[in-house]
Amino acid sequence: MQFVSRLPSILLLGVVYVAFVLAGGAVFWRLEGGLVEQNLVRLREEKSRLLQRLSCLDIQSLEEVGQLIRSASKYGLSLKSNSTSDGFWKFTSSSIFAATVVTTIGYGNISPGTMYGQIFCVFFALVGIPLNVVVLNKVGKYMLSIERKFCHFIEQKTNRKKCVRVFIHSLSFATLAVLYFVAPVMIFQQYEGWSYAEAVYYCFITLSTIGFGDYVADNDPDRYYPEWYAFIMGAWIFFGLAWLALLINHCIDLLEGFNGYLKEKREGTASMSQGSQPDETQAPEKSIK
Amino acid sequence: MSPLIRTCVLVAGIVIFYIAYLLLGALVFSYIEGPVEETLRTDLTSLKQQFLNQSCINASQLDVFLERVLKANKYGVSVLRNGSGHSNWDLASSLFFANTLVTTVGYGHTTPLSDVGKAFSIIYALLGVPFTMMVLAACVHRLMHVLTYGPLKVLQDHAGLQPRLASTVHFGLLLILVVLSFFAVPALVFSTIEGNWSFLDGFYFCFISLCTIGLGDFVPAEQPRQEYRALYKIAVMVYLFVGLMVMFLVLRTFHRLADVHGLTAFFHLPSYDDLAEDREPIVEKAEKEDTRETTKPLDPSSQVSYNSFGR
Repeated sequence: MQFVSRLPSILLLGVVYVAFVLAGGAVFWRLEGGLVEQNLVRLREEKSRLLQRLSCLDIQSLEEVGQLIRSASKYGLSLKSNSTSDGFWKFTSSSIFAATVVTTIGYGNISPGTMYGQIFCVFFALVGIPLNVVVLNKVGKYMLSIERKFCHFIEQKTNRKKCVRVFIHSLSFATLAVLYFVAPVMIFQQYEGWSYAEAVYYCFITLSTIGFGDYVADNDPDRYYPEWYAFIMGAWIFFGLAWLALLINHCIDLLEGFNGYLKEKREGTASMSQGSQPDETQAPEKSIK
Repeated sequence: MSPLIRTCVLVAGIVIFYIAYLLLGALVFSYIEGPVEETLRTDLTSLKQQFLNQSCINASQLDVFLERVLKANKYGVSVLRNGSGHSNWDLASSLFFANTLVTTVGYGHTTPLSDVGKAFSIIYALLGVPFTMMVLAACVHRLMHVLTYGPLKVLQDHAGLQPRLASTVHFGLLLILVVLSFFAVPALVFSTIEGNWSFLDGFYFCFISLCTIGLGDFVPAEQPRQEYRALYKIAVMVYLFVGLMVMFLVLRTFHRLADVHGLTAFFHLPSYDDLAEDREPIVEKAEKEDTRETTKPLDPSSQVSYNSFGR
């Protein structure tokens, strides 16, 4: 049966995958392990120093304070003296939360604490995630078709197929990269006070939908954000993800084309006609119609 | 209406519906969680006031301390109760982290602190995420034969059911099986091992993880006095990976089901056939013919070669 005959290749793939994850784990262990030790030691020193200096404080009350801030941070409340933050569950941040659930980014800086919130979250995601996938795919395809139309239009004018195609592809890649990566990095640097590296890290972690939540935009209760900020962030996430889907589809396109090209070479010059690149040749025809 | 305008309107419609859906979710979350937060806030403020009243530290000193502890807390470092603190970056935990990175779950309960760590995460994920998707797709592709095509054949040939009914029955059974074995049972296990998780918490955790949302509000194997922590973490890792595979399988089966019932054609979505590399058994062909005819609008937005990547 087909299933059995393909077993060796999948075993190999599985082994490579496990090795990859193990290797990654080992590297993180080496890189990060040491730093945590240092942090812990330093924090403990500070704690004992504080206790010594403040004679009225005993360890019990200190721990109480610690628990206090833990709970506060979970709900995004700032205990700084004069801040008037709105907490996490005002409408704009709830929308951002809904968006992070549906795109599966899931920062986790805020999460539903009530039972009903959790139950609703599950059902909301059940419908929202497939919906999100469908919408992103549609939008991504649309962006690609616009690009192809434009490509074809220029081709007609200049009559140089390959050059134009490469040029248009790289142009669109560059513009969108600026729009979805470079510009956001600069905005975050300014409004969040992050360093360049932190902003890049944040953009990547968000657009890949990993979404750790160690850095989250529009989240600092001690900062002031303009009105349009949350909205721009939402739009960026959505279109950025669509762009990423587009990019991935492009890569698949290229891989398929490359695969077809290799096949040709292997089979000789036999079927050099339209059989090899069906989507490339059909696209202009279809766009004429 | 020309096909092009029709797809335009359809896309616009879907996008509007999507936005409306997000807004609805926002409203409901706000309504449910807002009051709870309010109560917590007032409690905390009065607690803080109480604390300041009876101690010798002033407000600014307290603020500094609070900020420091919060920052450490964000990185999973706690100095409370002499922080018996298992490290967050021993080998098993790092492995767990690498796994959450490449599956894009990304709990965030531990995150790289060093710049080098962050840079490495980016590169590792750039390679690892597509790799994971590929591995999952390959596995699901094989599994489909065993769990979907096989049973469907049995249902149709031996039980003599019509393709549509067979698909629905099969999907229902599959769904029940998956919910029981990948949600209900693990939820039970988690709620037993993790002392303060209820069954709902366990279920919620399973769901949030297997959808790769990964909020991180519940993360297993993080209790201070957990026995066999490393083994536990690795078991959770395996569960997450297999669970993810099964979710993919369910999704593809559902796609096929929608296709058989003509729903994908109705919404101008790519049909299951166009995405599957393998053709299904011959028995299906008769049913496939008429669904295929309805999925060929002559516009560029129906190109199928670049839409297939599994998610």
